[in-house]
Amino acid sequence: MSGHHHLSLKVLLGTALALGVLTVLTVSVAMIHIPSPFNIVVAIAIAAVKAYLVVMYFMNLRNDSKFNLLSFGFSILFLLIFVGITMLDTMFRVEVIPGF
Amino acid sequence: MAHSSNSNLAHHFVDSEQQFDASKMGMWIFLVTEILFFGGLFAAYIIYRAWYPELYIMASSQLNTTMGAINTGVLILSSLTMALSIWSAQNNDRKKTTIFLAVTIICAIIFMIIKYFEYTHKFHLGIFPGAYYTFTGIDHVKAPQFFSIYYMMTGLHGIHVIIGVGLMIWLVIKNQKQAFSSSYYTPIEIVGLYWHVVDIIWIFLFPLLYLID
Amino acid sequence: MDNTTTSPNIGLKLKRFTSPDHPEVNFAQAEKGIKAWLTTIDHKKIGLMYLGSIAFFFFIGGLLALLLRWELWTPAKTFLDADAYNQVFTLHGAIMIFLVLVPSVPAALGNFFLPIMVGAKDVAFPRLNLLSFYIYLTGAFFSLYSIVTGAIDTGWTFYTPYSAQTSASVVSMTFGVFVLGFSSILTGLNFIVTIHKLRVPGLTWGKLPLFLWSIYATSVIQILATPVLAITLLLLIMERTLKIGIFDPTLGGDPVLYQHFFWFYSHPAVYIMILPGFGVISEIIGIFSKRRVFGYWFIALSSMAIALMGFLVWGHHMFVSGQSTLSSVVFSLITFFVGIPTGIKIFNWVATMYKGSISLRTPMWYALMFLFLFTIGGFTGVTLGTLSVDVHLHDTYYVVAHFHYVMMGGMLVAFLGGIHLWWPKMTGRMYNEKLANLSALLIFIGFNMTFFTQFILGAKGMPRRYYHYIDQFQSLHQFSTVGSWVIGLGFSIMLFYLLKSLGKKGVIAPKNPWGGRSLEWMTQTPPVMENFDYTPVVIHGPYDFHKPIAEFEYGIEGSDSHGHDHNSEQHDNKHSVNA
Repeated sequence: MSGHHHLSLKVLLGTALALGVLTVLTVSVAMIHIPSPFNIVVAIAIAAVKAYLVVMYFMNLRNDSKFNLLSFGFSILFLLIFVGITMLDTMFRVEVIPGF
Repeated sequence: MAHSSNSNLAHHFVDSEQQFDASKMGMWIFLVTEILFFGGLFAAYIIYRAWYPELYIMASSQLNTTMGAINTGVLILSSLTMALSIWSAQNNDRKKTTIFLAVTIICAIIFMIIKYFEYTHKFHLGIFPGAYYTFTGIDHVKAPQFFSIYYMMTGLHGIHVIIGVGLMIWLVIKNQKQAFSSSYYTPIEIVGLYWHVVDIIWIFLFPLLYLID
Repeated sequence: MDNTTTSPNIGLKLKRFTSPDHPEVNFAQAEKGIKAWLTTIDHKKIGLMYLGSIAFFFFIGGLLALLLRWELWTPAKTFLDADAYNQVFTLHGAIMIFLVLVPSVPAALGNFFLPIMVGAKDVAFPRLNLLSFYIYLTGAFFSLYSIVTGAIDTGWTFYTPYSAQTSASVVSMTFGVFVLGFSSILTGLNFIVTIHKLRVPGLTWGKLPLFLWSIYATSVIQILATPVLAITLLLLIMERTLKIGIFDPTLGGDPVLYQHFFWFYSHPAVYIMILPGFGVISEIIGIFSKRRVFGYWFIALSSMAIALMGFLVWGHHMFVSGQSTLSSVVFSLITFFVGIPTGIKIFNWVATMYKGSISLRTPMWYALMFLFLFTIGGFTGVTLGTLSVDVHLHDTYYVVAHFHYVMMGGMLVAFLGGIHLWWPKMTGRMYNEKLANLSALLIFIGFNMTFFTQFILGAKGMPRRYYHYIDQFQSLHQFSTVGSWVIGLGFSIMLFYLLKSLGKKGVIAPKNPWGGRSLEWMTQTPPVMENFDYTPVVIHGPYDFHKPIAEFEYGIEGSDSHGHDHNSEQHDNKHSVNA
């Protein structure tokens, strides 16, 4: 498997342009009032697309070893596990003494 | 296949391709730890936001969206120039490699300068972390917690930007001493990977902190 | 016996490389002097430096244990006052976990043997390896420095709000542990890349010694879990210095949130501590039963399963913390499942021994001790994982007994087994087996005296970390304390015979005293600097005891790559193996 996949100037510039457009989109969307929780979903979704572009094209993961992609994926997965399971506690606590 | 009779090949590797792949894999694994390290702060953010959603809306008004957006643009540009410095190294263009690294460094410094103005403005208002918080403009008992998380996230991110600048200066020095070429540019590649993750973290920080309604 | 052959699948022409038991210049003789050791990038020397440091910290942690057991001879003050007692148990726990158990097998034995077992000359990043060692020492320094400036008394778990408010040197200790975390991360990183990238031809994943599978799984946990500990400690330091108010309720924070952050690392940490031990046990039982380890892929993949599932159960440390009932139920349920892969291993090890040619040498005694002691520890873990039962047993001596059975009776015993297995290879010397077996017996007896008693104490209601206790518990406490002295005696004998083996009259060991088949038994004893004078090529599995040893000595010429690529045919083949 090749370690020296050459970056392409066109791809890099195109990615940067896309990221710029998405940033403008991020700010514009924030100006519109979207009911919670969808405003968060939209914001994270756009950020995720931007992150995907940076990872795949700037970091060249598209042409890189599958193991590196797997590693990155695992880090996100375990972060979600941490937050998700913790929230099984933080969001489901019952008020033992009301008003305390 | 990279033909190396050079001193860049360590004795325990079979050839330079194996060494390059190993270095990249090592850096990706390190970046996994960075994601989980920052991830803890994102977790604290999410948990507190889920508890006090109204606080986050109120507090976000104290963050300057314009400065945040400019910083986002600056970092994206710096990611581009970082990638271009690697592209230049792959094309054996020593001069361009240095130029693009230098532009990346300048972008990073601009980022930190804008952050400096943001922070000093807040300090002026009495928005300090934790127990030193004296601002009265937000009517919520947990307001200090929001800003503690804000300072932890942006502060830690800022430290990583500074470290990145240090690494890039080192790369420029080494490049000027002709240490890199199209057959060996591994350090630039792996500093690049680090820098892109610093950018990605900011890509999430920006909407989560600055753009809450 | 043919001196040449062709490797299956790859088609490389192989030669047999027999070497004498002892090299002319071994790795310790290749670079001489203290400076050479302190600046070495040789994984074997780094492994030995870790081993020495870990042994030293174990000695300190052990002294602290003897001290605290002595204090508990009487229900009230024996010779320590209450604050000092809190400091002693905190330090004992922190030292044993962070300075001894977490690094133990990976840093000492893993560093020494991982590269040799894959046929490589070193780990992927040798300089990073040396840096990891110095980071470890730095972390140890900051942790122990806190003793001088105000030893902490929070327990090794540093729970808020007490840890955020107490006047003791929490920052020094937590910063020390923060630094230690980096050592753990970098070691794990190095090992993962080494196993992926530096295996010699023929060494497919299915031929890896199970020790390496367990090291790999451990490294995965180190990478994913340790950063969360790092951020937790950083937040705790900020809580104390800037009063950020995330974890301390008096500042507006949530103390249970601290526990989530802390245990998200600290539960997987127990698997960081035990998995390498499992790997050692696989090696020992295979060799000393002269049989292939039963269910190779079950053991290999169960290590990965433990690594990943271990991240889902941290809340079983928090059943009585005030977390929601929903999360307690979920954590309890998943905790039952996480015992299954471990159970699979125990059954497979016993099955390996069935109809095997059992050789009761010292390492095997340790493996047998492990099976007995760890199983008790594991069972009692499931007991504690049962939500309703834990409400009564939480924070009692039952918990203390449970974790000492798994950590000490399990992990430490496995570590000792590994030391006794690989001592001849590392040092070129053989220890006095009669004394070794005596020492093992004393440790076994002393251990059960000390800790089985504590199951009883805990079930009867004796709380942990308590300085005072009721009179009715005194005889049990005293019995437990006597047990600790027997353990101490056992370790003293061990120190004696191990050091003696290194002296002038020490017995020289052959290169393969136990008849092992994995690559480390094919190197000379002690190994040369670059581990092998040739490039080994693997054609059989690591537990193929029915194949003659000569068939494990095949390889191809040339271990020299000082800046020269090998000819393209050879390294194309190498690359077809390394994925």
